[in-house]
Amino acid sequence: MSMIASLALTLPELILSTGALLLLLVAAWGGDGSSRLISWASVALLAIAGLSLGCANGVAFDGLYKADAFSNFAKALVYAAAAVSILIAPRFFEARGAMRAEYPILILLSSVGMGMMVSATDLLTLYVGLELQSLAAYVLASFMRRDSRSAEAGLKYFVLGALASGILLYGISLLYGFTGTTQFGGVATALGDGISHGELFGLVFVMAGLAFKISAVPFHMWTPDVYEGAPTPVTAFFASAPKVAAMALLVRIAVDAMGPATSSWQQIVIFAALASTILGGVAAIGQVNIKRLLAYSSINNVGFALFGLAAGTPDGVAATMSYMAVYIVMTLGSFLCVLQMRNAAGDAVEDIASLSGLSRTRPGLAAAFAIFMFSLAGIPPLFGFWPKFLVFDALVAIGLWPLAMIGIATSVIGAFYYLKIVKTMYFDEPAPAYAPSASRMENGLIALSAVAVSPLGYLAIPLLGALSMAAARALF
Amino acid sequence: MREKPLVDLSQYLPILLFLGVALAISGAFVVLPMIVNRLTGTAKPNPDKLAEYECGFPAFEDSRAQFDVRFYLVAILFIVFDLEAAFLYPWAVSLGGIGLTGWASMMLFLVELGIGFAYAWKKGALDWE
Amino acid sequence: MIGIQHYLVVSAILFAIGVFGIFLNRKNVIIILMAIELILLSVNLNFVAFSAYLHDLVGQVFAMFVLTVAAGEAAIGLAILVIYFRGRGTIAVDDINRMKG
Repeated sequence: MSMIASLALTLPELILSTGALLLLLVAAWGGDGSSRLISWASVALLAIAGLSLGCANGVAFDGLYKADAFSNFAKALVYAAAAVSILIAPRFFEARGAMRAEYPILILLSSVGMGMMVSATDLLTLYVGLELQSLAAYVLASFMRRDSRSAEAGLKYFVLGALASGILLYGISLLYGFTGTTQFGGVATALGDGISHGELFGLVFVMAGLAFKISAVPFHMWTPDVYEGAPTPVTAFFASAPKVAAMALLVRIAVDAMGPATSSWQQIVIFAALASTILGGVAAIGQVNIKRLLAYSSINNVGFALFGLAAGTPDGVAATMSYMAVYIVMTLGSFLCVLQMRNAAGDAVEDIASLSGLSRTRPGLAAAFAIFMFSLAGIPPLFGFWPKFLVFDALVAIGLWPLAMIGIATSVIGAFYYLKIVKTMYFDEPAPAYAPSASRMENGLIALSAVAVSPLGYLAIPLLGALSMAAARALF
Repeated sequence: MREKPLVDLSQYLPILLFLGVALAISGAFVVLPMIVNRLTGTAKPNPDKLAEYECGFPAFEDSRAQFDVRFYLVAILFIVFDLEAAFLYPWAVSLGGIGLTGWASMMLFLVELGIGFAYAWKKGALDWE
Repeated sequence: MIGIQHYLVVSAILFAIGVFGIFLNRKNVIIILMAIELILLSVNLNFVAFSAYLHDLVGQVFAMFVLTVAAGEAAIGLAILVIYFRGRGTIAVDDINRMKG
C-alpha cells in the first residue's frame, strides 16, 4: 500500500488536524476576537471531514488504521456531536466573559483523536488516538479558569482519566507481550489457540481501562463530578462524542482483537451493563442538580448500549451502534434544554427545583424537555424505545432472555426519575420564570432533536438500521 | 527462541568500567581530604564552618518554600519540547533506511512543533514578566 | 540469570505502587502526578522487557510513544494544577470536594 493511498484513507483526520493547526495560528494572532470566525470555520471543517468520509474503505499504514463502514458510522456521529458542541458554546461563554478562541480548536483536536480511536486496528493507534482525545478533554473540562468548580472538574477528570489510561496501557503491554503483536488481527490469531493467564490479565485490564472511558460501573465515579463542574457545553460534548468513540473502540477491540475470547469478555460486559443500568437508575433518584442527574442518566444509557455488545453477535453490535446514534441526539437535546435554564439576571441555574411549573412559563421548552426525558426512559411511542428494543431483541436471539428480563426491569427503575422531572415541569407550582431564550439557533437545534426522537423518528429506521447493520457487518 | 539478544550488553563493558573508575577516583577526591583532615588534627568544627554555604550569605528560609508559578510554566513548556529529541535520535540513526518518507514525516512533525512553539510565543508564555 | 519474569514482577510492583499512590495519598496532588508517571514507567518497563524477549522492535517504539504522551500528560496535569491552585490556594487532596453526591 503506497503512502498516497494511506493518506487518502485518513483524509478526514488530515483535514481536521491541518485545519486545527492553521486555526491555532489564527487564534494566536487574532486573539479572542476571532473566536466567532474560528467557531464557524471549525464547524465547516467538521462538515467537510464528514463529507470526506464518503465510502472510504481499506487498510492504511500497514494495518495501523482502517477505514470501513463501522468507523465511518461512528465518525459521522462524533463529528455531528462535536459540531453541535461548538455551536452552542459562544453564547454560554460570552455571558461569562470566558469565550476564548481555543475552545473550537480543542474540540477539533479531540475529534481527530476520536477518529483515530474508531479507526484503530492496532493497539498503538488505539492508545495515541485515545490520549489525543483525552488530553484535549482534560483542558476543556477546566476551560473556565476563573471558576473553581471547573478547575476541580478538570483536575478530577485528569487524575482519573490518567489512571484509566495507565490501566489500559498496562493491559496493552501484557497483550503485546503474551501475543507478540500489537495488531488486532494478530492478537485475535494468538488468542485463537487457547487463552493464557497473561493474555487474560491483559484482556481484563484493557476492558477496565475502556470501561473507565465510557463511564460504565464500577469505573463511573468521575462522571457526576466532572459533568457537574465542567461548563455546560463541554458537558454536552463529554456526554456525546467521546462516549460514542469509546464505545465504538470497545466494540471493535472486543470483536476484532478479542473475538476468539468472546466468552471471557462477555461476562465482564454483562456485569458492567447490569451494574451500570441499576446504579445509574438508583443513584439518579436523589439528585437535585440537573447536570448530575444527566450524568447518571448517561451511565444508565451506556449500560443499555453494552447489552448489545454483550450479545456478541452482528445484530447486537448493530443495536449498540443504533443505540449510540439515538442516545447522542437525546443527550444533546437534554443539554440544550439545560443551557436555556437561566434566571432573570442571566445566570445559569442547575437545580431541578427551578424547573417546576415550566409548562406554564415556557411551554415549548417544557414539551421538548419532556420528549427527551420520555425518550431517555425508553417509553414506547418515542424513538428512544426503539434502540432499547433492539438490544434486548439481540439478547433474546442468542437465548440470554433472563438477562433481557432483568434489563427491562432496570429500565423501569430508570424511568422513575425521568418521570419525576416531567411531573415537576407539568404539575408543580411555577418557579420564577427563566430568562427568555434569545438564540434562534439553539431553539432550532432543540426543535430538530426533539422531532428526531419523537415518534417521527421511526421514519429513519430503514436508513439507521441499514447503516448500523453495514457497520456491524464490517467487523464480523 | 533467544538465540541472539536484541541488545548485546557486553558491548557496554567499557562504559561500565569507565563509570566504575570515575566513581572510585571522584570518591577518593572527596574522602581522602577528610581522612587527612582527621589524621593531621585540623578538624575543628564550629557553627560558622558547619553552616550550609549559599553564595556567601546565610541561608534565610526553608528549602521547601513554594516556587513562583512561572517556574511551573517554563517546566511545562520544557517537558513538551524536549521530548522531540527522543524521536530525533532514532530517526537520525535510521534515516538511511527509512528514506524520503521518513524524512518528510519528521519534517512534518517538526513543523507541527514549530506551530505549537509559535503559539506559545505569541501567547506570551515565554515572557518572564 | 535475570529472565522475563523478573522484569514482569518488578513492573507489576511498580504499577501497584503507582495505583496505591493515587488512592492512599491524602496530602498533595503533585504526588498523584508522580504516581501516574510511575504507572506509565512500569508499563514502559514491560514493553522494553517484552521487546527484548520477543526480538521485536514494536515494544520499544511503543515505549517511545508512551514517553511522549506521558510528557504531554504531565504538562497538562501541571497546567490544570496551576489553575486550580490559583483559584483555591491549596493543592491538598482532601480539599478537592466542592462537588459531592
